[in-house]
Amino acid sequence: MIKVIAACVVGAALAGGATFVATSVATESTATAEPVNETLYNYGDR
Amino acid sequence: MGLLAGVLALGPALGPGYVLRYDMVFVPDPSLGTVLRGADGFPRAVPSDAAVAALSAVLPGDVVQSVALLAVFTVGGAGAARLVSRVLCRGGRIGALLASAAAGAAYVWNPFVAERLLLGQWAMLLGYAGLPWVVGATARLAVVRPAAGFAGLVRALLPAAVGGFSSVVLSALTAGPVALVRPRGEGAAVRRGSSRPAPRQRSEDAEAGRAPSGPAPARPPVSGVAHGLSEPVERAEPSGHAMEEAQASGVPREFSGSHGGAAPSASATGEDPGAGVARTPAASGGRWWTRAGLFALALVTVSLPWLLPALTSGADTDPSGVEAFAARSDTPFGVVGSLLLLGGVWNSGAVPPGYGEPVTATARLLLCLVSLAGWVWWSRRDRPGFGPGLSVAAVLGLLISLLGVTEPGRELLVRLISAWPGFGPLRDGQLYVAPLALVQALGLGACVWWLTGRRAAAASGSDGAGTPWRVGLAVFVVFLPVVVLPGLLWGAGGRLAPVRYPEEWLAAQEAVAADDRPGTVLVLPWSAYRGPDWSGRPVVVLDPATKLFDRRALWNDDLVVGTPDGGTVVVAGEDARAREVARVLGSDPRTGLPERLDAVTLGGLGVRYVAVSAPVDNQFWSGVEGLSVVVEGEDMTLLRVQDQHVKPDKAGIPGLEVTGGLVTVGAIIWSVARSGSSLVFQCSGPSAGPGARKEIPK
Repeated sequence: MIKVIAACVVGAALAGGATFVATSVATESTATAEPVNETLYNYGDR
Repeated sequence: MGLLAGVLALGPALGPGYVLRYDMVFVPDPSLGTVLRGADGFPRAVPSDAAVAALSAVLPGDVVQSVALLAVFTVGGAGAARLVSRVLCRGGRIGALLASAAAGAAYVWNPFVAERLLLGQWAMLLGYAGLPWVVGATARLAVVRPAAGFAGLVRALLPAAVGGFSSVVLSALTAGPVALVRPRGEGAAVRRGSSRPAPRQRSEDAEAGRAPSGPAPARPPVSGVAHGLSEPVERAEPSGHAMEEAQASGVPREFSGSHGGAAPSASATGEDPGAGVARTPAASGGRWWTRAGLFALALVTVSLPWLLPALTSGADTDPSGVEAFAARSDTPFGVVGSLLLLGGVWNSGAVPPGYGEPVTATARLLLCLVSLAGWVWWSRRDRPGFGPGLSVAAVLGLLISLLGVTEPGRELLVRLISAWPGFGPLRDGQLYVAPLALVQALGLGACVWWLTGRRAAAASGSDGAGTPWRVGLAVFVVFLPVVVLPGLLWGAGGRLAPVRYPEEWLAAQEAVAADDRPGTVLVLPWSAYRGPDWSGRPVVVLDPATKLFDRRALWNDDLVVGTPDGGTVVVAGEDARAREVARVLGSDPRTGLPERLDAVTLGGLGVRYVAVSAPVDNQFWSGVEGLSVVVEGEDMTLLRVQDQHVKPDKAGIPGLEVTGGLVTVGAIIWSVARSGSSLVFQCSGPSAGPGARKEIPK
């Protein structure tokens, strides 16, 4: 049982680390251009 | 898992204040009467806004919003997890647990949820969250009495009932084929005749909507409720004595009667006047037309609050929305690939940060392919009763979502919408990948179950832990949906952040509420969407002033959608009265403001207040005779039209809508009351083992 719990912890830690890396990649590449200071706004842009 | 995913995804959005984004508008103290009185056109805000207004009477509005958003993740995650656990409960305990967690995580953490959340469509997502429950309840129609099945289905449709039109359409698409498609093994069960599954197995089959399987029991079970999907065998209900005996011996009631789960047996609830009466397949909803009829009846029942007003509204749907709201590519894999990945929303502003990057998109693609492989493997191996129907729904949904992508598909949609406005929801193509999301979630659960070494567990009779490395890998896979879509984390990178309404907004709301004279509120600028400065960071949102006041608001419900070439497509609104106001106002299309307001004209339109909900120049109203300033601030100016000019309409709450709403609420209360037993929520895990199973003595 201890081995199983340890495996769960390791799996979750790996997932956390991978999420951190993926977040870094996503953050660095993000270039959102949400509209600012416009008079009228579209419902959205395709 | 769903709760954890919800907290991780929403993060700051759960704090004090209101999250505003595109269609998601919550205001303090919304008026239930105003929602019920509604507006012209299709009742898109009913009954979601009515439910919010009712809850806001007892809870602060921002708390109501947090509960609603968190419910999407919790209900959806629990539903997908439960659906998996019902079928895989014969495997190892840890394997089934991890498989359930994986399914729950995948169902609420995917591009569909992220993009729709960023589009502010919380009500639709509520219906999405209920889909696994609806699928399960629909599958159970085949194995329980019609009344019990109907009640279970109405309960399962509760999120869709709150969500409204899109939610019910999604439920129909996802579970309709489950009701119609004949489960594999149904005919075989009929033909086999005496080859009945073992009691426990049969109970699990009934719960999971699975075709009956397993060896013939050593002795026939007492209950006839949990028989196969259409087994032509008449069975008697357990007598009251048998029930008492079973309970006295410690046998859970759910094992002594129907293993109904969310659809408890009538005998167990003590509601069934037919207890002790033999049952035929037709009586247990086993025929496909019985299932289809019950399913349609349940859908209509929960749809009455918006269905009746919609049918009598006489509103039209602008076919130009076909092009504006068609699915688009948001990954490097094109439109088809994007939809397969559950993305492809029409609005580029609703894509989570970093989603379209090749690295994360490729990882997401691999996860989707593995999940689909898992679904195929699982549906061939375990043959869940809802499997064929859900597969059909996923394919059908994908085809519908692709309609707006091709020229012939667009033409078809335009013709359909022109012929009948009820086809209008087909414009928003990406909406219909929702069944595919459920398929992928269940497929990932099956993959995790396989990964945990279920064969070894089944052979050894262990708890299914398999080797530790397998468990560790399975835990990693459980979190993979988060890993490949980190853009949803913590309010989608801060995009879902709560704000507080400025004081002048609240003062305007209070001033209008204090005036009991009738008359509408005209909202300017004449444009539906705003980018309020007070929201902390630039965010586009439907003008909250359209829902702020306790009376009818007149606002421009035209939808302007930007095109990639820099142009715009205007999708005409549905409010006929708003069109009339637009003609009279003659607003400048660049500013959304009229050149000059006229109190007599406004009063003639029934307007008593004018709310200017943006920082604009005051020259169009300053010094106008017949208008007085009630509240003036940087972001909100409230003007009152002098009483002698106002010719208000006497808008009441339509009796037809009230009647429809009462029928729906009554049906939901009845369905919940009918479930008043411990059978509603049962332990989803397996029993301690085959040897621990208890059967009711004959």
